[in-house]
Amino acid sequence: MTPAQALMEEAQPIHPPPTSFWRKYVFSIDHKMIAKQFLWAGLLFLLVGGLLAMLIRWQWAFPYRPVPVLGKLLFGGTGAIGPATYQQIFTTHGLVMIFFAVTPVLIGTFGNLLIPLMIGARDMAFPRLNMYSFWTFVLSQLLVLASFFTDLGSAGAGWTTYAPLSTNVGTPGMGQTLIVAAVFVTGASSTMGAVNYITTVIRLRAPGMTYMRLPLTIWGIWLTAILNALFIPVLGSAALLLLLDRNFGTQFFVAGASAVNGGGDPILWQHLFWIFGHPEVYIMILPAWGILGDVLSFFARKPHHWYRGTVWAMVLVTVLSAMVYGHHMFMTGMSPLLGEGFMLFTLLISIPSMVVVVNWVLTVWQGSLRYDTPMLFALGTVFVFGVGGLTGLFLGDISMDLYLHDTMFVVGHFHFTMAAASVMGAFTGIYFWFPKMFGRRLDERLGKAHFWFTFLGLTLVFGGQLLAGYAGQQRRLFDPFQYTFIQGLRGLNQWTSYFAFALFAGQFFFVVNFFKSVFGRRAAPAGANPWQVTTLEWTATSSPPPFHNFDRIPEVVRGPHEFSNPEVRRLTGRDFAGQAELLPGGGEPAMAAGKS
Amino acid sequence: MAQRGDLGREAAPGPVRDLVRYRRAPHGAERTAHVGMAVFLGSWAMLFVALFFAYAFVRGRAPTWPPLDAPPLPRLLPGLNTLVIAASSAAVVRAVRAQELRRARSSAVALVGAAVLGAIFLTLQVAVWTDLWRQGLVPSGGPYPSVFYAFTAFHALHVLVGLVALAWLAFRARSAAHSIRTDVRLWGWYWHFVGVVWAALYVTLYLA
Repeated sequence: MTPAQALMEEAQPIHPPPTSFWRKYVFSIDHKMIAKQFLWAGLLFLLVGGLLAMLIRWQWAFPYRPVPVLGKLLFGGTGAIGPATYQQIFTTHGLVMIFFAVTPVLIGTFGNLLIPLMIGARDMAFPRLNMYSFWTFVLSQLLVLASFFTDLGSAGAGWTTYAPLSTNVGTPGMGQTLIVAAVFVTGASSTMGAVNYITTVIRLRAPGMTYMRLPLTIWGIWLTAILNALFIPVLGSAALLLLLDRNFGTQFFVAGASAVNGGGDPILWQHLFWIFGHPEVYIMILPAWGILGDVLSFFARKPHHWYRGTVWAMVLVTVLSAMVYGHHMFMTGMSPLLGEGFMLFTLLISIPSMVVVVNWVLTVWQGSLRYDTPMLFALGTVFVFGVGGLTGLFLGDISMDLYLHDTMFVVGHFHFTMAAASVMGAFTGIYFWFPKMFGRRLDERLGKAHFWFTFLGLTLVFGGQLLAGYAGQQRRLFDPFQYTFIQGLRGLNQWTSYFAFALFAGQFFFVVNFFKSVFGRRAAPAGANPWQVTTLEWTATSSPPPFHNFDRIPEVVRGPHEFSNPEVRRLTGRDFAGQAELLPGGGEPAMAAGKS
Repeated sequence: MAQRGDLGREAAPGPVRDLVRYRRAPHGAERTAHVGMAVFLGSWAMLFVALFFAYAFVRGRAPTWPPLDAPPLPRLLPGLNTLVIAASSAAVVRAVRAQELRRARSSAVALVGAAVLGAIFLTLQVAVWTDLWRQGLVPSGGPYPSVFYAFTAFHALHVLVGLVALAWLAFRARSAAHSIRTDVRLWGWYWHFVGVVWAALYVTLYLA
């Protein structure tokens, strides 16, 4: 044991694992268990958000027609969706997906699972804070569920919760209040998580794990955590002011006739919301970027192309993401000069983004590709992110945005990035780290079927939205076809909906696969390193890892992507070397021979 | 290796204790806690930054600020409060130093002092609120009173949290059985943070 290892060992002594049920499975402080808890909570809400999406698609294909199976149960009467209900469906679909499904899976699950395992720590820096973070998150989910059972139903002001629609003037019901409170509470949970992630990466990296040897996944999650720490509180203050407006009669966001005296300004909400909201889209994509950077390299059996370039590009994107929020507000009558500034920074972001994407492509270029399910998802993510990023250029440009603003084109664009790329990035991670979490492997055939349904489904559904938007269909319309110029798009909308239903149905491959592998008796044990990769969680511990992660804190000797190195092949017969692996017959004996 | 971990908990040699500022370097877990708290306060500061952004925005849009019919805000009492909270911060500094010197009693006394000053701050704040409320300044009267009440109340909530924490620390600091120097130091940071926010509030709300 080297002195550096001894120091880390001393700072992180091995504690005995908890034995009682509550301490082990419920109020656990073990980061691996908390990661699983976030996974379950997130996947459950992914199902809820998905169901809501299906209802929206039904409405856009067959407005006024009763929803089959669920309609009578959910809406009573004939089972058709009414206008007010429709408002709540698309509002809660967005909120549930962003805050309560994708965020917990991408950040909660992978942040908790991977940070300690990949940097070589025994747990997070603040394990108990970690537990509080999860249970605060559960509280926020309960608030969301409760909002569905209030008198006027859940929130109906759109996921962006724009004032004055979100004030008492537009949505007087208790449901909207509960949802705003839920957003505040989940923000508190995210902030706790972010403090924990940032501190853990700064303080608990194993000896030798320099910043430039961190796996890209950790870079992605760490930068995300920094964005979370900086900008979730901004959303918190916006939610706080809105709650004050709704419940204590203050007037920050109501104006004009609805205000008593002078009045506030609805645009203020947009500023606060988008100061948070634009970093939020990077919060949702950066972990996926990180995962892709590693997984593409792992399955191409090549080192990541220009690792430092990717890292610095991701850092630059993180910085720039804080300076572009105004591009969501080109239509609010902002000063044209300010608008052009925001446009400039928005278009500038595409440069580091393209560095990242080109590095992915060059990583795969001439690699020995292994088409396992995680790799398929990773390649699919590159494609959908590419489409999402390129359509973003149109919207970032003011003159195009004036035409495309508030059309389905916007919906298609941000679904390609935030929904398709984030969700497929999350599935990449789930398929890749499932053996590490549960010690078993997912079935490859079901996984591949799931991939094709997901990839083609997402592309076709959101592609259909891009087309509809380009043709002029406004977003959020209850019945788009009451406008004569949209009536010609009925077929397009129906086909988009069919693809959406197929996409939803295809997710059952995953559900079956997941349950079979987690609970099934016949699932084969995965072994410590089923993918034959290099990072610490695969090469320095078992699957699943013991409570204390590492019997001995590893000392890292090389970067995360040591693949196809001829010298490693000569010494070990393998095409990869673990980050903490000392090669046989490598350093010391050779030096000893030299001395004698 | 074992001794290094104990360094942080080791008592200063008795006779030397009063003569020398005996500072022990923070050990690993303490440093981690420091980093965590710094990150947290940086994050939480963004909440107030956003609130001040909202304030600047609303104020910039208003035709007159304060509105012509609004009663003038007092300056003396809040000014006094600024001194109170500064004194309270100073008391916390004393408490932190006493912890470093392992003087459990004087640390506890300083913490009680800080908590009492915090309570005085809140009392004066309530006095200011009731006075203005009687003069007809209510939250629903437009953005001006909205900003005033929301910000001062939100800040007062932070003071209340700090107050309870300081009292609890004072209770724990009575005996020198085990050092709580990291707890005192971190809550001290929080308390200074709340004080700085108040200073910004005082200048922008009451003076400017």
